[in-house]
Amino acid sequence: MRAGGFGSPVPFLIPALLIVFAVLIFPIAFAFFVSMFEWPLSGGGGARRFIGVGNYVTLVRDSGFWNSLWLQLGFIFIAIPIELVFGLAAALLLNREFRGGRVVRALLLLPVFFLPVVSGMTWRFMLQPRYGAINNLLVSMGMPQMNLLANAQTAYAAIIVQDIWRMWPFVFMLMYAGLAGIPDELLEAAEIDGASYRSRLFEILIPLLYPTILTALLLRIIDALRIFSEVYVMTEGGPGMATMLFSLYTHRIAFGHMRVGLASAMAIFLLLLSVLFAVTLVRKNLSLEELERRGGGG
Amino acid sequence: MTLHLTTRRRIITFAVGVFAFAILLVQLYPIIITLVNGFRRDIIILSGQPFALEQITTRSYEIVFNNRQFMRAMRNSVVVGMLSTVLSVSVGAMAAYGISRFKFMGRNTLAYSFLVFRMLPQISLVVALHLLFRSVGLRDTVAGITLAHSSFNIPYVIWLLIPFFVTVDRSFEEAAMIDGCSRWTTFIQVFIPLARPGLVVASVFAFINSWNEFLYALILTGVRTQTAPIAVSGMVGGEVLTWGQMSAASTLMLVPVFIFTIKMQRHLIRGISVGGVKG
Repeated sequence: MRAGGFGSPVPFLIPALLIVFAVLIFPIAFAFFVSMFEWPLSGGGGARRFIGVGNYVTLVRDSGFWNSLWLQLGFIFIAIPIELVFGLAAALLLNREFRGGRVVRALLLLPVFFLPVVSGMTWRFMLQPRYGAINNLLVSMGMPQMNLLANAQTAYAAIIVQDIWRMWPFVFMLMYAGLAGIPDELLEAAEIDGASYRSRLFEILIPLLYPTILTALLLRIIDALRIFSEVYVMTEGGPGMATMLFSLYTHRIAFGHMRVGLASAMAIFLLLLSVLFAVTLVRKNLSLEELERRGGGG
Repeated sequence: MTLHLTTRRRIITFAVGVFAFAILLVQLYPIIITLVNGFRRDIIILSGQPFALEQITTRSYEIVFNNRQFMRAMRNSVVVGMLSTVLSVSVGAMAAYGISRFKFMGRNTLAYSFLVFRMLPQISLVVALHLLFRSVGLRDTVAGITLAHSSFNIPYVIWLLIPFFVTVDRSFEEAAMIDGCSRWTTFIQVFIPLARPGLVVASVFAFINSWNEFLYALILTGVRTQTAPIAVSGMVGGEVLTWGQMSAASTLMLVPVFIFTIKMQRHLIRGISVGGVKG
């Protein structure tokens, strides 16, 4: 190799690695370090105190931590199955040619690209008493006039519905692409065999779509674990602690209660949880070889 | 029989079309109401008639355009978005090239690590970043928030680009190297022009990622470098009922995203399946 030529990949990788180290890997290590201290946000160095696993012990005993964990899990267990069913059903339904089909599919995806913060504010608007559209709809169906975001149950329901509204088209988009990847012969063969739609769905389509379903599920879980801005502008975690999902509680501990050490312990906990799901997703469903074989097609 | 079947199929297709249209209306209502409210007077908005279109006005837009704090935030968003895009696409393209054109030990591990990095929750990093940025003077600076946005954009761009890069024919590079070009010259002068379509897609998605981002901006910026999502979220609070301005400002932020979305239709699936679009 002549002078100045790169015979090795290292020079190509170095810039990315340097930046990722500086703003990702090092901060994670630092968060782990901070998590072992009692570390007030504003105080000087003198106020810091090494307490080892003290913050983690505090968390296990903190009812706020468990509250946010249960809210987070409930959010995942309610919102995501609905999104998967809606997304799959819509993909099966729209997987045919009809007039305006392309336009319908394109428009369906718009909510996915609605800025999360704008979505949160629009939903907050629609939920307002007296003039909000959702509130008015519920009142016309016989519900009493109320501030839906000021009530613990309805506020929690609202943040879930907001997420379903915005993200089931995301699942739809993945499923639709997955369906397009199934060879027609497979489906036609089943049709000739005289299989009923139901058995075709459960015995052929869903097993064939299984990798796509799993990808969608894992992507949605990873995404739901870090939800922040929509809920922040809708409720700020309230009323009380009713919508204090994991990221919101961590934010509150760090910048409301100024307890950076404790917040870092929460950050590390969530990080490990997310890495667990991310690694599962990556190992099971995204193979570099596969991507390279398929190339730029799809 | 044949006729019967065709009719049946037609009816089903028609029913599906009607049903899809109904769902579409429900799905688009929040978006439409945001676009419409930007042109309605607050008093009409507060009347609670969702379809009342009396007294259409551009007053809210005038107020928003004269809102110096918001306009500065928009400018910050554009600057940070462009800087973060240039940084992550140039650095990410190099890394994606390294991964897709060389065989080396740990290649898979490295590629997968980047993908996992893309999926980490921002809250896990933002507390540490806040402390670190504060101590080195990067808090509330364009450089700081640009770097923070690059932390998710670089891994994202790498994964978006690898499949594009694989499809670029190697023979041009090989010919260039036989002619005596170095790897670097080959990369810049031969490979990059060939890979342009992929780079355009990556740039668009990287920009949108940065444009939508909320949590880093909330914590790591201040008065000077606040971005548009933070500014717009500050417009509604307490008992201030200026939904018109909020909607106008939101619309201004949505326009670039929707334009890109429509232009990038073909690439959307890949764009989101490596973990994009989230703020």
